[in-house]
Amino acid sequence: MDNEQLRRVRKTTRLHLAMEAEETLQRIEDFPDKPAAMNYFYSMFRDTYIGTPALPMAKKIIATMCMQVPLELILAADAIPLRLCSGANAYDQIGAEFMPSKSCPVVKATIGMLHVNQTLWGNSLRSIVIPTTCDQKKKAIELLGDMGYPIYTLEMPSSKDSDRARFYWQEAVKQFAIDLQKFTGNRITTKKVQAAIAKIADAAGLFRKLYELRRSTPPLILGTDLFLVNNAYFIDDIDRWRQAVATLIAELEERRENKVSATNRQAQRILFTGSPPIFPNFKVPILVEQSGGIIVADETCSSTRLFSDSVAYDEAGLNDIVPAIADRYLKPSTCPCLTPNSDRLRKLVTMARETGADGVIYQALSGCLPYEMEQKLVNQTLAEKGIPMLYIETDYSPEDMGQLSTRVEAFIESLKARNKKKIKTK
Amino acid sequence: MKYFGGIDIGSTTIKIVLIDGRHHIVADVTCPTGSHFHKNTMAAFEGLLADSNIRRDDVVYIFSTGYGRKLFKESDETISEITANAIGANGLCESHESIQTIINIGGQDLKVIQLDREGQIENFAMNDKCAAGTGRFLEMTARNLEVEVDELGKYHERAQGVPITINSTCTVFAESEIISLLANGHGKEELIAGVHYSIAKRVARLAKRFGMEGTVFFDGGPAKNQGLVNALEDELMRQVIVPDTPQITTAYGAALLAWEAYDDMGEAVNG
Repeated sequence: MDNEQLRRVRKTTRLHLAMEAEETLQRIEDFPDKPAAMNYFYSMFRDTYIGTPALPMAKKIIATMCMQVPLELILAADAIPLRLCSGANAYDQIGAEFMPSKSCPVVKATIGMLHVNQTLWGNSLRSIVIPTTCDQKKKAIELLGDMGYPIYTLEMPSSKDSDRARFYWQEAVKQFAIDLQKFTGNRITTKKVQAAIAKIADAAGLFRKLYELRRSTPPLILGTDLFLVNNAYFIDDIDRWRQAVATLIAELEERRENKVSATNRQAQRILFTGSPPIFPNFKVPILVEQSGGIIVADETCSSTRLFSDSVAYDEAGLNDIVPAIADRYLKPSTCPCLTPNSDRLRKLVTMARETGADGVIYQALSGCLPYEMEQKLVNQTLAEKGIPMLYIETDYSPEDMGQLSTRVEAFIESLKARNKKKIKTK
Repeated sequence: MKYFGGIDIGSTTIKIVLIDGRHHIVADVTCPTGSHFHKNTMAAFEGLLADSNIRRDDVVYIFSTGYGRKLFKESDETISEITANAIGANGLCESHESIQTIINIGGQDLKVIQLDREGQIENFAMNDKCAAGTGRFLEMTARNLEVEVDELGKYHERAQGVPITINSTCTVFAESEIISLLANGHGKEELIAGVHYSIAKRVARLAKRFGMEGTVFFDGGPAKNQGLVNALEDELMRQVIVPDTPQITTAYGAALLAWEAYDDMGEAVNG
């Protein structure tokens, strides 16, 4: 691409991105009676997607994909973690040049974004760390390396149960810690790691409070808002994020006192799982909450799973702490790139019971084979426990919103009818 | 003084152009086609002659083109609007770089014409099955937002916020979408800009079939809308050339063909 062409592509892409982001934010803000504390997040996303250049200009950025890259180590190396997984249709269109037509939109969009924004990072981007999770991430490593980006392959096993797998991953994470020091030019010390672990644990603790408020009866915050809050974690400064979340929690607790609910009594409680909803692609969650449902829980790597588990170590030395960090990122993982994934099945059932979910909505992005393939087992497992599930396969384009809304509405209506019957037969 | 006539009878408007022996446009008119093609075209033609003080006999050759070309009995020959458009575009385009793609948005259709280096038609694609990406979409928008079609460009220019995304490509569904967006309090300016981007996206999708190289020429009534032109440039990610009088390009091409046909008959042409 010559300079003029590149300028035009960037201009048009930025406009498309702004339009998508604005549309999603308007749909989210459209729900009545939002907590004032959510304005921080709406503004943050507006500034990032609609303001001028959407690239953070921090000093040392270690970019990541997926959620397996240990953030504690990045923080301990005095660098800024930045999760790149993209939810933008605009970037998905561009990435289509590099990937097969039916392939993971998250990877396609991320590749599209990196392609268009080459040379705009300056010196700040020290590394893009990609764990060898699913096929498409693995091949993306090669494509992005070819573009000239500093890619770091973080080797993850395909199975997590054996000691072999555990050790393999611990070694990869140890090496990553050593390499991080090279990329950033900063030393990782025990103190720094402990501080980073505490910071992230604090963030997780805040999320757990939000999780409780979300699943309370009645629910105090919409699922779409919570997705937005957790997506913000990808890109926001962790201290600012914690502050904003603490403010939100305080407001929601006040609402609980004053008996203000996020929705009406008839809203059906939904557990959302599957391929991650990433801003601005909140198409399905928004549809669910526009159709009389409320997402009271989720099992996705762009939201709840980010905060589910903590690092536990015995000895306060790096030789013990770093493997403990590695364990935290592998052992509890319920990503379908792993086999077997029985933890996910168990987790979904437990979560559904715990949060009083009336039904489960399972989203698979077209081309995401791991999630597409697992839906059968999940459906079966849930059916055995008497939990209804709706399977939706979709992509980033807005064209199927009409059909999707009909299916979602019908599902929620069937849950309503089911509950009415339950009450009658009691 | 001999004159040559090009009459483009479109689904929505009739365009008539009269040129002299040097290819200069001496008179032109654009008016609604209505339901009675022949009657309305005759009326427009006779009106144009009267207004410009030209006698019927001085118009020595007439080519008609467009949707209703075969229905106008007064013409000497007919030609498809694809050919007429290509000839008109090349005639109007002052740039030395040869035109390779012509995008024409009409009242009810959308055409992309690909030319080779000699200006001959190599390929073309049309959307004539639905109103998406056509002038009809703009008319519907103007009607629902209670503005004039020729004001749409001005409103677009005034938009301050991000253009609103219109997701439906179908004009019928898009109308419902626009009405509900309006009811939700969105600004007219941003909605209009959004409509322009929606049309431009549709056009770009058709145009990209030919992998555009070289100069892109945009004509048809909607090309008068600067907002739409800007949106098209953004969606195509290239510069787009619009003649001063985009709506009569095809009629002009027909008139040029009339001149050529008359000239071929061996008659001397006085300047």
